[in-house]
Amino acid sequence: MPKLSIERLGGIAGFGVSPNIKSEGEVESSDLSPEDQAKVEKLFEGGSVPPVKNTNDVFNYRITRQKDGRSQTIQVPESLVPAALVSSVKDTLR
Amino acid sequence: MACFCQIIPDEVLKRFSRDPKLTAAQRKHFANAARLGTEIRKLRKQAGKVTAVTASMGLVAGVVPAAPAITLSDCQHNQTLPGVPVADPANSADDTTKRAFVETSAVADFYKSVFGRNSIDGAGITMASSVHYGTNFNNAFWNGSRMTYGDGDNNIFIDFTNSTDVIAHELTHGVTQYSLQLSYTSEAGGLNEHMSDAFGSMFRQWRAKQDVTQADWLIGKEIIGPGAAERGFTCLRDLASPGAAHCLTPQPVRFADFQTGMDPHISSGIPNLAFFTAAKAIGGNSWEALGQIWYKALTGSDPSPNMSMQTFANLTRQLAAQMTPPNASVANAIDAGWTAVGL
Repeated sequence: MPKLSIERLGGIAGFGVSPNIKSEGEVESSDLSPEDQAKVEKLFEGGSVPPVKNTNDVFNYRITRQKDGRSQTIQVPESLVPAALVSSVKDTLR
Repeated sequence: MACFCQIIPDEVLKRFSRDPKLTAAQRKHFANAARLGTEIRKLRKQAGKVTAVTASMGLVAGVVPAAPAITLSDCQHNQTLPGVPVADPANSADDTTKRAFVETSAVADFYKSVFGRNSIDGAGITMASSVHYGTNFNNAFWNGSRMTYGDGDNNIFIDFTNSTDVIAHELTHGVTQYSLQLSYTSEAGGLNEHMSDAFGSMFRQWRAKQDVTQADWLIGKEIIGPGAAERGFTCLRDLASPGAAHCLTPQPVRFADFQTGMDPHISSGIPNLAFFTAAKAIGGNSWEALGQIWYKALTGSDPSPNMSMQTFANLTRQLAAQMTPPNASVANAIDAGWTAVGL
């Protein structure tokens, strides 16, 4: 099961787009519950999802994994991300 | 007899309408309540328009939309909205709750007294906020129907209700949603963020009774945590100096530096500097001549989700010429502000 690299982007402060603050985490897929593994698989199958209309300053998540020798990356709103991935991310000053 | 209460947010009604644990009749009841809420909000908006028209005729409207209700909910460090409703937020023992209530009420008063706007939608919609969202949550956001505030991690940020401009910033996203409807991508996204920073800053100055010279023009000064402060950061953004090193999110200052795909919190630096430059040239209180023109630009025309920065700049120039003759100083200051950033 691939490792997931997670970046939290946006918010009112511009995490990930500001040179001064970042928000990153990693999760081994095998450490996720079967339900969360299925949710993540479904996210990758569906591809990136744009932010919900009329939401502002919300977080989006860029999730990357290696599968079948290729790097796959999706970007989805926070509301779609399993809590276990959200909680893996740490905000830091660069 | 079916009954409903508008105090229940739409997202809650819609969630219940999809809850498989409820009976079909119960789910239909909640779905109907959500639909009725939408239509009643349209009625309220129309009532507001009637009032505005009759007021312009010097007539007294039969029904004056009431001032908006201000509601607070406590997420209790969970990430489920709306949270637990707070019965009496004005007198809450929790400082965050009380502050969010007081400042949201003040923003409502700001929009009403300065711009004649009744709440976010112009028709008295309830202004709902949730506090204590998540744990160490370093953000505040507008989700389309309510403001939500985190407590910060006490390193990069502290309580997001601490900055009056942040509260007005989030509420102004709602105003934009109900008026110009700027999207959140490309140049329109930068304008959307600029509106929130500009009106957030104007509210901060109005609240503190500061003119353009006394204002610090900072966004998020009071939410900077000790870790960020130690590294020399004093704010999220600075309308006076968008590219400054003391900004957590430095921004470009010229339109020539705009790039496709740029995050709105970055590209807003361009109109932010134009606004500041014009404000300093005009002098006095930012919410008066300049703020009135910006408010008209935001609310006085049809929705324009993909508006370009050049179009917005030209709109404010046009409005300045219409709204401030014969004194050309305001129009000249606005023109100079935009010219300074290359628009």
